[in-house]
Amino acid sequence: MNTFLISFVMAILACAGPSFAAPIELGASIQLTGQFANTGRYYGDAYQFAVDKINAAGGVKVGKGREKLTLKILDNQSDVNLSVRQYVQLASQDKINFLLGSFASDFVLADSAIAEKYSIPMIQGGGASDQIFSRGYKYIFGTLPPASDYFQSTVDLMGHLKPTPKSIALLYADDAFDVSVAEGTRKAIGKIPFTLALDQRYSSKTSDFNSLLSLLKSQNVDAILVAGHETEILNFIRQAKTLNVSPKFYSFTVGVPSADFRNALGQDANYAFGMSSWVPTRTLKDEYFGDAEQFAREYQKRFGYEPDYHAASAVADVEAFVKAIESANSLEPAKVRDAIARLDFDNLYGRIHFNENGQINLPQTVVQVQNSKLVPIYGPKGPIENALYPMPPWSKR
Amino acid sequence: MQLLWQILVNGILLGGLYALMALGLVLVWGVLNIVNLAHGALIMLGAYACYYLFAVFGWDPFAALPVSMLLLFSLGYVLQRFVLNLVIRAPMFNTLLITFGVEVIITYLAQITFSADFRTINPSYAGANFTFLGATVPLARLFAFGVALGLTAALWLFLDHTRIGRAIRATAQNLIAARLYGVNPRQLYALTFGIGAALAGAAGTLYGVVSQINPYIGAGLTGKSFAIAIIGGLDKSIYVLVGGLFLGIVESLTALYIGPTYTDVVSFGILVSVLIVRPTGLLGRTA
Repeated sequence: MNTFLISFVMAILACAGPSFAAPIELGASIQLTGQFANTGRYYGDAYQFAVDKINAAGGVKVGKGREKLTLKILDNQSDVNLSVRQYVQLASQDKINFLLGSFASDFVLADSAIAEKYSIPMIQGGGASDQIFSRGYKYIFGTLPPASDYFQSTVDLMGHLKPTPKSIALLYADDAFDVSVAEGTRKAIGKIPFTLALDQRYSSKTSDFNSLLSLLKSQNVDAILVAGHETEILNFIRQAKTLNVSPKFYSFTVGVPSADFRNALGQDANYAFGMSSWVPTRTLKDEYFGDAEQFAREYQKRFGYEPDYHAASAVADVEAFVKAIESANSLEPAKVRDAIARLDFDNLYGRIHFNENGQINLPQTVVQVQNSKLVPIYGPKGPIENALYPMPPWSKR
Repeated sequence: MQLLWQILVNGILLGGLYALMALGLVLVWGVLNIVNLAHGALIMLGAYACYYLFAVFGWDPFAALPVSMLLLFSLGYVLQRFVLNLVIRAPMFNTLLITFGVEVIITYLAQITFSADFRTINPSYAGANFTFLGATVPLARLFAFGVALGLTAALWLFLDHTRIGRAIRATAQNLIAARLYGVNPRQLYALTFGIGAALAGAAGTLYGVVSQINPYIGAGLTGKSFAIAIIGGLDKSIYVLVGGLFLGIVESLTALYIGPTYTDVVSFGILVSVLIVRPTGLLGRTA
């Protein structure tokens, strides 16, 4: 009798309409602590910010009503094995509706296998390595542009600089993302008559670059391109200064766009080039945040630090789910997956449209730190602001 | 040839810092028979202590060094007296577990307190250098090297030529005999651990000047210190210096001639070889 009563009440609740309907749950495992916590926080904060904004605007239109979004975030402590276990938990035990991603290609490479296995769509803005999208997986989508393209716009810019750098050194860490960056960069350099004077992989655990820097100094290369992580890049620049290694030009895949990088290095951050798939301008309109500039302002106010492209990309992931669910008018994973593949909309991050592999194509804008400010230098339409080039020797700064 | 000379200079300067990092670990290991897995975390705390003295109060890092050492000494003393002393007679595995636990706790408290932001200690001379026989010598690294040598010598003098130092060595060599001579091991252990932590504090300060700081640098530094302890042996502080210099030079040469991907493979390869071929350490004994 009791069982019957409970079932009866539940059936009534289920029929009572949207006010009793379960919210749409998004889940992610993120590096909230551990060695990647510095970048991981962008994802935790940006996901939450986007979910709050979307809910404040009424939620997601499904069927006749509107559903609220909820977010379940687990801390993987910067451990890729724990991350995988947590995604299994999210998919099998917690039965969340859809998956958002963690930071860094090594993590996404492993996590995406869980999304594929459980056939739950994952949209992630933390993994750019081409390896993630070359396995024929159907349920993984990415809002960072391909790693192999990261240095393309930088190489284009170098072709325009006077005097043009002749010899280039390419240094890259030995993880999935940076290896993909190096492969793409080699191709880009090969098309232009630059000499690749040094092509060197290093351990991502390295904190001492003195030997490499001494080698670079002895070869007197004009330009240095480094694909690595922010900690390595901070060490690289500080040690370059102590050893008086002054190329005409150096550029780094990560770090340069973040405020943390400029704070940590102070004046020494000047002249460093980098790239960003996102520059917070008013021209990037957004349904929930107004525009990218407004988003950056509100984000800074709420979390106390500047957002960079990681945060914008994370917001794009949540908004992409909203658009896809509304377009599919369903919460069925397969239907939503197909809707994601068809998406084409503009938001504060840029145009969200995935290619056949599931990855987005956004041009990288070359940026440079000038007088401790981040300045866009070279975009898809060519030069934006003047580059400070060649970099003066450390002794003359 | 010029390049080789530069690499050797780099290696020697790096090695001095390595030696200082390992010194505290070796002291504690040799006397208390505890492999302190939280040693790297103590180095990290030393680096933060110096960072805040530098960033908030504008102290020069080398002036902040004694304060950082004093803070870490107090922390080490308390940690040993009230936590580690409870397991001092336990099997080594238990002490490994407890120091590992302490490491995790310190690291997470550091992230909560200091945030995961990257910090650097950047005094005006941080990038200064001069040329010596054609090699560029970074000034801050040379200072750090000098301090490392000074502290190694000071530790040696302290252990060999003071009453307390001799009591510490006596406790390490024969606890029962030392007790019979009126040594209070409880006090002495806390003091030794405090000195070990103070040395970690000094290493952290110097590390912060040449590298960047975040709450997670500790584990890697413990690993490095451990390798140096094995390579050098636990007998004398001078052996630690030799072990540190050896590792610094080998790593620098490896990065140049074999490839920077392989520095850890080579340094831990040496660790394994030493354990197999000469388990007493290249120069002395191991526990």
